[in-house]
Order: sequence, then C-alpha cells, then structure tokens
Amino acid sequence: MAANTGQGKGFGLFLVGLTVGCAGIAYLSTGTGKVAAIVGAAIVLASLFSFLKIKPLEGATAQKASSTVMKLVGAATVCLGWLVTIGGLHAASTTGGRLVVALIGIAVSLFGMLYVLPTTFNKNALWKA
Amino acid sequence: MKMTRRRCYALCVLTLSLLLTVAGFAQSQSATELKDAAAKAPSAADMQKGDPGGSITGTINDVPVSDSKAGLTLGDVANQIGQNKIAINFTWTLITGFLVMFMQAGFAMVEAGLCRVKNANHTYMMNFVVYGCGLLAYWLIGFAIQMGGAAGNGNLGGLAPLASEHTLSLFGHTWGIFGGSGMFLAGHTYDVGVMVIFLFQMVFMDTALTIVTGACAERWKFLTFCVSSILMGAFTYPLFANWAWGAGWLSQLGTNLGLGKGYCDFAGSGVVHAVGGLTGLAVAMIVGPRIGKFNRDGSSNPIIGHDISAVLIGCFILAFGWFGFNPGSTLGASANGNLRIGSVAVNTMLAGCTGTFGALLYMWILKGKPDASMSGNGLLAGLVAITAPSGFVSAPGAAIIGLIAGVLVCFSVSFVENALKVDDPVGAISVHGTCGLWGVLSVGLFADGTSNYGGSWNGVTGSVTGLFYGDSSQLVAQLVGISTLLGFVFTFSFLLNLGLEFFLGQRVSVETEVAGLDLPEMGQLGYPEFVFRPEPEILAQAQAVAVA
Repeated sequence: MAANTGQGKGFGLFLVGLTVGCAGIAYLSTGTGKVAAIVGAAIVLASLFSFLKIKPLEGATAQKASSTVMKLVGAATVCLGWLVTIGGLHAASTTGGRLVVALIGIAVSLFGMLYVLPTTFNKNALWKA
Repeated sequence: MKMTRRRCYALCVLTLSLLLTVAGFAQSQSATELKDAAAKAPSAADMQKGDPGGSITGTINDVPVSDSKAGLTLGDVANQIGQNKIAINFTWTLITGFLVMFMQAGFAMVEAGLCRVKNANHTYMMNFVVYGCGLLAYWLIGFAIQMGGAAGNGNLGGLAPLASEHTLSLFGHTWGIFGGSGMFLAGHTYDVGVMVIFLFQMVFMDTALTIVTGACAERWKFLTFCVSSILMGAFTYPLFANWAWGAGWLSQLGTNLGLGKGYCDFAGSGVVHAVGGLTGLAVAMIVGPRIGKFNRDGSSNPIIGHDISAVLIGCFILAFGWFGFNPGSTLGASANGNLRIGSVAVNTMLAGCTGTFGALLYMWILKGKPDASMSGNGLLAGLVAITAPSGFVSAPGAAIIGLIAGVLVCFSVSFVENALKVDDPVGAISVHGTCGLWGVLSVGLFADGTSNYGGSWNGVTGSVTGLFYGDSSQLVAQLVGISTLLGFVFTFSFLLNLGLEFFLGQRVSVETEVAGLDLPEMGQLGYPEFVFRPEPEILAQAQAVAVA
C-alpha cells in the first residue's frame, strides 16, 4: 500500500502528541504542565496504535522473522560491555587497570554487535531461501 | 606608643589621598584624551563627502555612550570591547553553522547518487525532510537535554540561562546526566547567546540524523524514517552529546577520576559521526538487505548508484561544509586560544586529502581501478576521523589520521558487507561509524599538548595530550567514550527502532521495493522522463521469489 492518508494522519497525530507532551514536560511543575504531559503521552500512544492498525495493509516485506529473544540477548551483550567499562572505572584505580577493563568492555560490546546480532538476523535471512 | 599610632594613621591618610589623587588624575587624563579624540573625529560634513579610502569610517563617534550628559567614558569603551569580542564569536559561530547546514545538500547528493534511479526522489526526500524532523525534535526537547546544563562558555557571553544539569552521585563523585533548560527556547532561555549555540548545535545534530538515511536507503519506509529521525533528534543524539559536550559525565572523567582532560571530542567524530554510523548499523540490521544484494551462498552483488557526478560534487560540498564543522567548534574567533582556527582548518584539509589517497591507492593497487565512489568515501573518512582531533593535533598527525581512515574505510566496507551481511548502500556505517570511532581513539594517541583554549579543557588545567606525547590516561578517557558509543548509543538506537519495527514496520513492501520507492512512497518519480533500463535479473527478483 505504501504511503497513504492513514499514515499522514497518524504522523500528524504523533507530532501533535510530541509537542503537547514536551510542553507539559517544560512546565511540569505546574498543574497544567502535568495535564499536558499526560495528554501528550496519550496522543503519542494513540498515534502508535493507529500505525499498528494500518501496518497489515502494507503488504509482505522481503524479511523473514528472526528470534526476538536472541535480538534482545544481542542488545544486552552490547550493553553489558559498556557496563563492564563503567564498572572498571570504579574497580580499578590505576590507569593501566582501567585501560585493560575498558578494552575488555569494548570487546564484549563488539562480540554482541558483530557476532550475536548478525548471526541472529542472518539465521533466517531471505537471501538464504 | 601614642605617637607611633598617630604617625601610622597620618601615613595611611597620606597614602590614600595620594592614591585618590593619582586615580583622579588618571581618570581626568583619560577623560581628556577621550574628549580630544572625539574632537578630532571626522565631522558630519566630512562624512557627507563620502569615504572612498575607508579611513574615516568607524571612529570614536561610533562607540555608544551610556550617559549623554557625561559623554564617552572608559566604561563605555571597555563595554564596547567586550561586546566586540562576543560579536566576533557570534558571527564566527553563526557563519560556520550556516556552512554545516549546507552539508545537508552534500549528503543528499552523495546518498541519492549512490542509489538507483528508481529511488532517487525517496532518497533526496529523506535527506530533505530529516532537516525538519531533527529541527523540530531538537527545539521541543533535544536541545534542553543536550545543552540545558552547559552554562559557562565565555566565548558566547557565558550562556548563563543554561544552568540546569541533572546529576547523579555515584562512587563518591557527581556526574552530569542530562540538561533541563531550553525547551522551546522559551522563558529565560530567550537569550541571544542561547540562540547562537542552539543554531550551531542543531545543524550538528542534523548531520548525525542524515547519516542513517544513507545506511537504510532504498528500502526504508518513509513514515518510519520520519518517526525514527524525530526520536533520534529528541533523545539518542542529545543524550550522548550532553555527556560529551553539555557538562555530562564523560566530560567529567578528568575532573572526577583524573583521566586526562576527560573525554575529548573537538567537533564530533564520536558525538556526531559515530552516533550516526552506529544508529545506521542498528537500523540497517533491522531493516535487512535490499532484494538481490546477497546470493544464496552469501556472496554479494554490487548495486551501482545512478549518478557518480552527484556523488563527487556532494563530497566536495561536504568538504566545504567541514570548514564550518571543525574550525567552528572553537565557538569563537576571539580570545581563549581561538586563533588556533587556522590550524584546525588546515588539519581538516590535510586529513581529507590523505583520506582520499588512502582509499584511492587501496582500490587502485588491490582492485586495479581508482574507484570514484570509494575515493569519495576516502575523503569523507579522513574528514570524519579528523573531526575529533582537529583542535588538538599537529599537521603531520592530521595527515596520518586521515590516511589511516582512508584505508580503514575500505576494509570496513568489505567487512560490513561480506562478514556481517549488512547492506549499506552508501558506506555510511563505515565512513561515519568506523572512522568516527577511529577519530575518537586518535585523540588519545596523537593530541600533542600544544592547544590552549583558555588554559584548560573540560575543567582540567593544561592541554589535551595523547599517549604518543606522554599522557596514557587521555587514551583511557577516549576508550570509555568508545565503549559508551558502542554499548549505550548502539543499544539505545537498536531497541528504539525495534519498537518502531513492532508498531510501524521499518521496511517497505516487496512490490514497492521492486518497483522503486519513488512512485509508491513519494507519488512522483525522481526523473520522470528517463526510460528505465531493466535491471539485471538477480536484482529484480520476482515478488514470488522474494516472499518465498
């Protein structure tokens, strides 16, 4: 179906919700601000569900489903590397120690990013069919 | 005893009187000099005759007087000097910001040129609309998150209204997490200095956003691109930019933990390019490769762009805009070591030059031809890599950094395509992601300790100095920045876009992709009078095969 009026309306709604929500956050200390933040969030959610509703009309894409769990595991591995680096700043007190822990953290992140996630996405890749 | 005390009093009174007399004399002498100068200034009649030589325009008469009865005072002159400094810095920052804004045109030409004719309108439109999406998101909330606590920049008058950084106390130190002032640029942030820094930072943010459109070109749903770009401009980019530039925790690694001068990223190899490149990688993984890009055995097919002239002209526009990107990042041309702008500009040129040679020679020697698109990517790789170190390294250092980036981008393009099986039509992940990370790392290696922007950087006294010049702790700060880019920025972008995949879907339908995105997504062909040549069979697989 490609681009259509439903998408346009949903996107307009999303922009309105985002603007109202941000205005609410900007004045969150006031009563009006709190109401605006809640209304904005509700409008953004409504726009997302309007997108979800028209999504099946799009037609099939050149993708095959892959494991969501493994995608999350991959993302968690990438994030874990960062946490290792941050933890190392506290655990190690010398420059050399922090250097080593930072390199380990980067290696863990790269393992998740360059091995776990590509393996997950390519397991059922369309081009393999 | 009494006599001594009296003598002391008398001596004090005498000294005070003498000082007052000298001060009064000096003041009256200055006032007399100012009056003399005013008397010698050209008269209205002289000015009416015209000033072809430019020798009588701009005199003491042009200095504003605060009290017309008292006439011109030293205070008026000093105020004018201060305002001139800020005016020079405002003008410099704004003009360099305008140059960066023009880079959007370069990105549009490079990306569209590297795509097929049937997707030209869609690719150009993504590069056009990303400007509005990013600007809106940044105005609403992104700027406040990034710069809301960045007060204290003397180049732009102090930016005092931006004094609200939310912090977290951890391991005995206080760390900046995100800013809070500046949403909608309303209230007390309705300020001349804040407007200047908003414009400059906004065009940087938009550069990061437009990188993603290249990595996902020719199959990204336009609606999802719009929403994804808005969320990136509102949250992903501003968060990391706050940590690096907006008084956030990465910039405090020096003051809190003694790691060099904290994370140093002069103009954004990490903040702008690596954020864009890594987000591009995250979205490109989710969107998947274009139909026909990979064969069943995993080998890849080249999908040639439609306009190499657009690509190379776009590269030149980007190189031109980079003179705003890097030298402009001093945020001023007057005071605080800002005269280093010449060095920054030359470093930028040199790295672009050696980056081009690195890629050109790699392709020529190993593949037999001086490939045009890879030469263009080599230029951009060198420019991306020098963006972080441009303010801290020597000219030979810049040349080496650029050369390595030019070769690195060729390896990276091959790795992303052949090892990861990620389809990146324009090489954005390699140019901006890989070379952006290399740029961040190179600060920790090549910074030569000669820069002096007001005597300190990130609140730590002294110049930024890398491993090769004796400070290994700076390298650790840079590695922490790299780890954050990989571990936080990539993960955040990945999860955000995985959510959009659920609600909106990231990819166009098979029919749309095979037909080309111009008509189904944009309603108009990029080149309506062109006769399309049928694509090779492998690139135009039938719908049935694609869906099977």
